[in-house]
Amino acid sequence: MHRPGVGQHALRIACVLACVNCWLLCGCSPTARSPQVAQALRDYELGRFDVAYAALAPLAEKKDENFVLNNARLGSIALADYNLAMAESAFYRAYEVINSVNVNDPGRALAALALSEEAKIWKGEPYERAMVNFYLGIVYYMQKDYQNARAAFENALFKLRDYAEGAKSRDEFQERESDFTIGYLMLAKSWQFLGKPERAKPYFESLARLRPELTQLADEQRHAYSNVLLLVEFGDGPEKILGGDNSVVLIRPTPAEAGPIPRPQVYVDGKAQNLRGLNVPPIDMLELAQQRRWQTFDTIRVMKSVAAMGMLGGAAYSAHRGDDAAAIGLALGALALKATATADTRYWEMIPRTMFIIPLELPPGKHDITVSFGRRYEQTWRDIVAPESGESAYYFRITGTNPGPFTWPPPHLASEQVDGNQRVSRTE
Amino acid sequence: METAVAIELSSPGAIIFWRVMRNLLLILVGLGLAGCGGSAVSSGRNTALDSVDLVSMTDDMAMKIMGSPMVQQQIAERGKLKVVVQPVENLMTAEVLPRGAAEAFTGRLRVLLSQKASDRFAWIMNRDDFYKLRQRETNYDLGPQPGDIQPEYALVARFSSITEEDPRRRESYYLCVFELTNIQDRTLLWSDKYEVKKQVVRTFMD
Repeated sequence: MHRPGVGQHALRIACVLACVNCWLLCGCSPTARSPQVAQALRDYELGRFDVAYAALAPLAEKKDENFVLNNARLGSIALADYNLAMAESAFYRAYEVINSVNVNDPGRALAALALSEEAKIWKGEPYERAMVNFYLGIVYYMQKDYQNARAAFENALFKLRDYAEGAKSRDEFQERESDFTIGYLMLAKSWQFLGKPERAKPYFESLARLRPELTQLADEQRHAYSNVLLLVEFGDGPEKILGGDNSVVLIRPTPAEAGPIPRPQVYVDGKAQNLRGLNVPPIDMLELAQQRRWQTFDTIRVMKSVAAMGMLGGAAYSAHRGDDAAAIGLALGALALKATATADTRYWEMIPRTMFIIPLELPPGKHDITVSFGRRYEQTWRDIVAPESGESAYYFRITGTNPGPFTWPPPHLASEQVDGNQRVSRTE
Repeated sequence: METAVAIELSSPGAIIFWRVMRNLLLILVGLGLAGCGGSAVSSGRNTALDSVDLVSMTDDMAMKIMGSPMVQQQIAERGKLKVVVQPVENLMTAEVLPRGAAEAFTGRLRVLLSQKASDRFAWIMNRDDFYKLRQRETNYDLGPQPGDIQPEYALVARFSSITEEDPRRRESYYLCVFELTNIQDRTLLWSDKYEVKKQVVRTFMD
């Protein structure tokens, strides 16, 4: 009777393993970006928001490994379209999962561990998590729900502290706290509108102390008198690409590769405004994302890579000793580990390079406002409302494809009973 | 031939290899059956107030408000109390409370009191809800405008929290205060609180 040797056993098992592996990877199908998502992103860039919604909304409902990512994407589209109800709902869903633990059930955790990391539920890098919280805060702020805006901005800063907690020295901890400048600024402004300037003051002071070039922006008096706030997004945020042996994630471009951020000019009713230091970029997401403290350490992938290298060494040693079966087994194991150590390159494509936060004090009434980064990158809104009291916040997302002019209120807000961009007040 | 195989299989490297491969195969098949099926939102846990808190908190508050001697005395003296209900005021640290949830906490309390003590409380729709409904349901008779009936009392709730977060865990302590306040003279007729502490511990995959 003929019985197969160990080499043949190894070959058969390797074939079976390869098939199972392929099947599992196909079954999970956690592709970084499906054609549907890619199309939605293109539509978003071109300002075709309705088409982008139609593609992304069903994906954002699906409670899979891309649930948070797709909701973050949907939230970005809705915010750009001033569909604040949808933006709130999408960012809130993402916020809930980001703040949860044990979202990966044991099966999914094992799949992520042994097969592909993209089977893991995406919660984003720390800078992406902070931005989900920040945008949720912006949506509440635009609706003048300052309590929830405050809570969301606090949570964005919690994420910072979360990853800074492991710092060895107090100085390092403080430095880490200072990074997410836009979170501090908006938190301070929220406290101001909640009638607690004493709670706002420390955040304004911290901002001015830690980023002296933002002194003008951190002037609490300027914010107290502002009645129009421009939230101006510009540029493309960080991308994740594969590097090395495909087990390393690189975040590109670097700020040096992308070049300096231009400063905007603001025209109100055709007249250039003297921004006096308000047009300094308060944050550079490319710079932030390059910092290790804003990235997660991908221990699974590193462990798998190291183990694979060890197994390859073992295979060479076994071959040297003449133990072919062990050598083949170890080599196949190493290959399997390397194959499944591919990095997770999913990322939130809509994060901008920066968000300018420009407070203006305008005569009450309607105004035409243009934000310009040069002729190619500008956007105009007509009939922007400057309220007599309080402040209305307006979101400008400037790409080369959406110069406008647009007329306030946008369709989604026009359908609601609005005052500026405010919903009907929630208090008696 | 059998002897040869026996010799080959008895080598320590081959035995280890065989066992590793068999276990890997079992694990992968197991993963195929179990993996990728879990939902992002069904398995997670966080420290936010949830539906369990909503039910236990409002049940507790309904019992306490009905059992309050001060409230009973006011009802005996003035008849039904005309009460307007406000959504929860969010004073929590780093915890968002969307409008729907904020309304649910006081709304459920109102429903419980309406069911169990309909002869003791008259509920007046708050101004926001009235105009919101009027805007949406143009053919629906919403009764008199909010200004036509003056509520005497306001049922309000204020939620505060202390949240601590580090790389290993997130811990939140909640203090939820409910108050029934006389709108005219701002005196407090009744007040009580619900406290809860929640903690979640992060795992390797978090």
